[in-house]
Order: sequence, then C-alpha cells, then structure tokens
Amino acid sequence: MVVRPCMCVSDRACVVAESRQVYDAIVVGSGISGGWAAKELTERGLRTLVLEAGGPIDPARDFVEHVQPHEMKFRGWGDRNAMLREQPIQRECYACDEVGRKFFVNDHDNPYTNPADAPFRWFRGRQVGGRSIMWGRQVYRWSDLDFEANARDGHGIDWPIRYADIAPWYAHVERFIGVTGAAEGLAQLPDGEFLPPMAMTVVEREARERLLRSFGGSRVMTIGRAAILTQSHNGRAACHYCGPCERGCVTHSYFNSIGSTLPAAERTGRLTLRPHSVVAEVLTHADTGRARGVRVIDAITQEEYEFEARIVFLCASTIESVRLLLNSSSSGGLANSSGTLGRYVMDHHYGSGASGVMPGHLDKRTIGRRPNGIYVARFRNVSDASPDFLRGYGMQGGSGRAGWNRGGSLPGYGAQFKDALIDELGPWTINIGGWGEMLPAAENHIALDPTVKDAWGIPAARISVRWGENERAMQRDIVASAAESLEAAGATNVRPYGRMQPPGHCIHEMGGARMGRSAATSVLNGWNQAWDIPNLFITDGACMTSSACQNPSITYMALTARAAARAVDLLNRREL
Amino acid sequence: MLRSAAAAAALTAWPDTHLARDVWSRVLHLAVTPARPGAPALVIALADTLLPRTDTPGALDVNAPAFVDVIVLEYYTEEERAEFLAGLEAIDAMSVTVAGAAFASLDASAREPVMQALEDPAQRTTPAGRTYSRLRGLIVHGYFTSERVQREVLQVDVIPGRFDGSAPLHVRERSGVRRG
Repeated sequence: MVVRPCMCVSDRACVVAESRQVYDAIVVGSGISGGWAAKELTERGLRTLVLEAGGPIDPARDFVEHVQPHEMKFRGWGDRNAMLREQPIQRECYACDEVGRKFFVNDHDNPYTNPADAPFRWFRGRQVGGRSIMWGRQVYRWSDLDFEANARDGHGIDWPIRYADIAPWYAHVERFIGVTGAAEGLAQLPDGEFLPPMAMTVVEREARERLLRSFGGSRVMTIGRAAILTQSHNGRAACHYCGPCERGCVTHSYFNSIGSTLPAAERTGRLTLRPHSVVAEVLTHADTGRARGVRVIDAITQEEYEFEARIVFLCASTIESVRLLLNSSSSGGLANSSGTLGRYVMDHHYGSGASGVMPGHLDKRTIGRRPNGIYVARFRNVSDASPDFLRGYGMQGGSGRAGWNRGGSLPGYGAQFKDALIDELGPWTINIGGWGEMLPAAENHIALDPTVKDAWGIPAARISVRWGENERAMQRDIVASAAESLEAAGATNVRPYGRMQPPGHCIHEMGGARMGRSAATSVLNGWNQAWDIPNLFITDGACMTSSACQNPSITYMALTARAAARAVDLLNRREL
Repeated sequence: MLRSAAAAAALTAWPDTHLARDVWSRVLHLAVTPARPGAPALVIALADTLLPRTDTPGALDVNAPAFVDVIVLEYYTEEERAEFLAGLEAIDAMSVTVAGAAFASLDASAREPVMQALEDPAQRTTPAGRTYSRLRGLIVHGYFTSERVQREVLQVDVIPGRFDGSAPLHVRERSGVRRG
C-alpha cells in the first residue's frame, strides 16, 4: 500500500509513506507548528511522518506575490460571484482576495457550524504550509505579565510555565527563522533576537516621538516585529519589498513552513511528508490507552490508511486538533479526563481604532511596499490598573499617502484631474487599531456538530464563542485611546471607529486543550504532553491557557520546539 | 483647443467593433443605434473626458472602459447593474437637458456644462450623480491599474529592492523624466 510521492519540498520526491513502517513520530499538520515539529523531531533523530490534509505547494508554480493588477481579470477586486459561491465565509478574510483565495478552503467541503447568536469566522487554508503562507507575520514575545495573568485575576487556570521556561525557545526560533525588530527594553513586550528593523515612515517617526513625550514614555510606538528578513539569513534572501507576502514568496524572505522548517526537516533525510492526508482519528492501544498512531483518509481517493508511531504531535491548528480529539473517542473525546477538552476557547478581539491625517511632509514619499506596520505596546494594566477592564491590548497600524487611490473622492475631471492623481500623492494618513486579550471562559467551546459532516464524512466542528463584557469594555477603551494617541501624535481629522469583529475574524483562535498544573483541570501538562496519553503532544493554538494580546504564532513555534526536545529526551531516556 | 482636438481624435480612434458594445447589447438587451449610442458609448465618452490624453496616455489609450465592462457585467449584482444602467440613462437625460444631446454625441466644449452639473455636490444623491460617482471610480481604477500606466506613468517597481520611509518626492518633468 504505497502512496504517491510528494513533491512539495524539493524536486526530489519524499520517501513514500509506507503504512507498514512504524515511524518514530507522526505530526498532524504542516503549518506554523507542524513545520516546527517536523524540523525539531527529525533534527533530533526521529523518523517523522508529517500528515497534511491539503495538497503540496510548489513555490515556483503556486506563489503569486508578483502577479500585477493588470494580470488580474478584476484588477484586484476579485471574482465576487465565484467567491460568493465557493468561499462565502473565507471571502470575508482580507487575504482571501482575487489571487490569494487559492490558499483558502472551499467552504462547502469544509463546513462548520455555530449557534445563530454566536457568529464565528473560521478562516483557514488546507495545503502544505497551512496558514503559514497567508499569515500576518507579526511576532511578539509574551512576558510574565501574560503568563501570570490567570493566576492574578482568577480567570482560567495558572499557566504551568513562566517566561523563563520559554525565553530560550523564543531565541531558538528567532535565530532560525529571522525576525526583524527594534529593541525597546519594555518589560511587557520582551525584546527578541532581532535582525535590523525596517524603517518607519517620516510621519511614524514623528508620531512615535510625540507619543513618547505626551504620555511620559508609557506609550511606545515601535516598528513592527515580523518574521521577515531584512538581511539574508540561513540561506534565505532578504525581503525585496514587493508587498503582498500573504500570496507567497519565491525568495522565502518571510517565514513559512515551505521555505524554512520543512526544508530543514527534509535535509535530515528523516522526513516523510504525505499531503492529501485527512487525519480522521487518533488511534490508541486498547490495553494501555497510549497513542498508537492515526487513521487517515486520502483526500483524493478516499482510501483509508493507518500509520503508527511511538509519539504523536497534533499541530493541525486549534480547532482541527480539538475536533480530531473529539472525533477520536465516543465518550467525550480523547485525553479528556478533565472534561476541559474543547473548552476555554479564545480569540483576540479587534476592529476598533482611529485614523487621521498627519500634516506636512508633502515633499516626502515611500519607496518600496513595506510588508510590516507599526506596533504600540500594551500600556493598559501594565503599571496602573484600569478601572474598566482586566488585561490589555496592543495596537497595530501604519501610514502612507493614497496617491491615485484617492481619485474616487477627489473632485474634478480632465487634464488637471489626471495630473493631480499622477503628480500629487495626497496627504499622509495614519491609522492604529487595537488587538485585545480575551478572558478564558468555560462556556466558550468547540463541540462536534450532531449532523453536519465535511466532504470526507468527518463530523464538523460546532463553535460557540461569544465576546464577554471585559472584551466590550476594552473595545470602548481602544476607540478612545486610539483617537487620543493620534491627537497626541499631531494628527488632524482624527476619526475613531468601533467595528468589533466577531470571534474568529482575527484568526488568532486558541484554547480548547489547555496546558495546566493538574490533570483535573487541564488537558496538557507543562510540556504540552497530554496528561491522559503521555506519548501525545499538542503544540498548536489549542494548548493555550490564556490569550494575552500579542500575535500568538511565535509562541506556538517556541512551545513546539520545546515540546519536541522534551519528547525526544523522554524517548531517549525510555520514559515514553 | 488642443485638448478638445485630442479628445475628438481619441473618440474616433475607438474601434467601432468594440466588443463591449455587442456584449452589452446582448446581455442587457439594449438597443444600440446611431441615434441612441447607448451605454457603452456614454461610458467611453465619460472615460475620455475624465482622463483625456495629454502628455500622458488617456483612459481610452489604455482601454479603461474594458474594466467597466468586467465590473458591470460580471461583478455587480442584478440590482447594482439595473441601478447603474438607470443612472447612465439619467446622465444622458441630463445631457439632453443641459446641452441638447446625448453625451457621446457632444463635442468636447459642449460637454463642459454637463460635466459641471455631474460634479455638482447637489447631484451626489441623484441616480445620475450616484452612477457618475461609481463610474469615476471604475475609470480611475481601470486606468491606473493598466500595464502601460503602471509602467510608463507611475513607474511602479515590481521589485523595489528596498524600503525608504522618507524619500524625496520630485515634481515630474513634462518630458517624462523619471521622478524620485
């Protein structure tokens, strides 16, 4: 029972996946965390089978970042009717556009449900590399302000780790993937090991200085910290500022699995990557309850296979990993003696902020399209307690001059009108919005839908997540503080906006198989190891015990590398 | 004088077998006759007036109306299309009232009062004004995303190679010398 060779990682075919072979490790998923599990496990000596539900990616054929507007039928507006038909939900995502939509799922093959009063947006792709292809690339370390938050205010349970446990792994990840950023010395946003920072625009620099002065140094606008190279690194070329990273990158200048972790895994000679492999169930030994392997449905032929391994890493993404565990046992889900599987699901709330016009600097413009913005580090509930809400938010934004894009609102016609659009760029505009922490709550959960199934007959997820009062209070503060910040920065025409998006829209969904200090209250221990099944590890967003406000992917990568090292150590010591 | 001659020249240079006219007629069951040039001719005329050829290409030089075709015929919903076409009719009705004939039939100078009327903020909420506003946006987008304008006029670098957040903005010289 031999399957097709995969061709995604290089011209050479991967070793074909043999279901009679017992692998050292199986990794479910090849995205942000799956790619890291593959790299770390293979580099540490394990023959590893990576199972990816979607198809292979060939950068030369599949990446579309250099497609120009005139090469698009709808000049970038997108095939609205096709998207309405095939991707009615995915099309709400900013990156699911005319050319980027190829990386997003077909909503009819991949349904999910939610209660009518609890709208949820689940944006994702299914291909080798997963959402590491389309992600926003923003990377921020957590601090102990985040790891201690649950213990301090009693929402959720205490994290079983602290910053000291993960700091070396943040560094390990940053050194490998390359992260651009500027050191700021902020306790609540620890500095990483940075490649040179990208430049701020002239108005961002001015805004930063004014903000620092206006608020006594408590509001710090820094250049975004991003998994993008500003100099060549580990064999990958520096960014050439063409703009739309979310459409892929043939020079591998931003981090995704395709250009970074999967090739590293492949170089060990111990990687087998099987795309088109829908994992339907985690299999366990009847006598010991330990993980045995997985049951796979071939996405194209619908044939079923079983693959076995000594350890299993679930890196399928938050909702998929939880869904897989729920589908793996008829009695409440696998690894669920605590009863918390599927519970305490979170996302970041966002959608509110402010925009304005920065006066002057009309003799300046930008060269190149910077794939990164500015970041205002969390300033709420850092040194002073807010009376209105717990926890905090960070802000992201940017600036620019609209150029010809302002044509629709510029009055006039004829030669002068045309010249104005060609020769003048319009004023500098600036905008910032908030990304806020969500409190963990038991009622926010993922279950299996009783009737809806996906195209492979697997029960769909039913997602019930609702914003709470703390999130709404924080949103109100974001609107006010964004306007206040822009005014302090010197902006005019400041326009606040409050457009809280539904849960899931931020695409930072996490929780559902949380880490904790006790098997009674959590699914995983401090090593991302399932209390109930010691040879099962979950290192994607499902493991998260709280949400903080920082973009979470680099934390997933660090936890994955740390857990992989631990798993191999336990295997070598014959404790697994 | 130069501008109106250029505009007139641009009009006559438009291929008579323009696919859009046939497509619009077929798809939208519009009667297109010499006396009633119909929607496509109005779109073409407005595009030419909005962005005429000067020392840089005009909207017709880069086939901007073709983008209008794609959006109206394949992107808009039925309601949006109906509203848009009704708005084009309203624009031509206004043209008859103000200048005595359908817009496409007018020479460049006769179009001026019609354009002034369309640009009047008081028109913003009328069918003519709303459709004019939409059409402006489509023509501008079709023009500035065209290959020729991106390459020759805007001189967009597909591979800039660097990011500078504070580069000098030089005034474009009329001879077309690269700016910046």
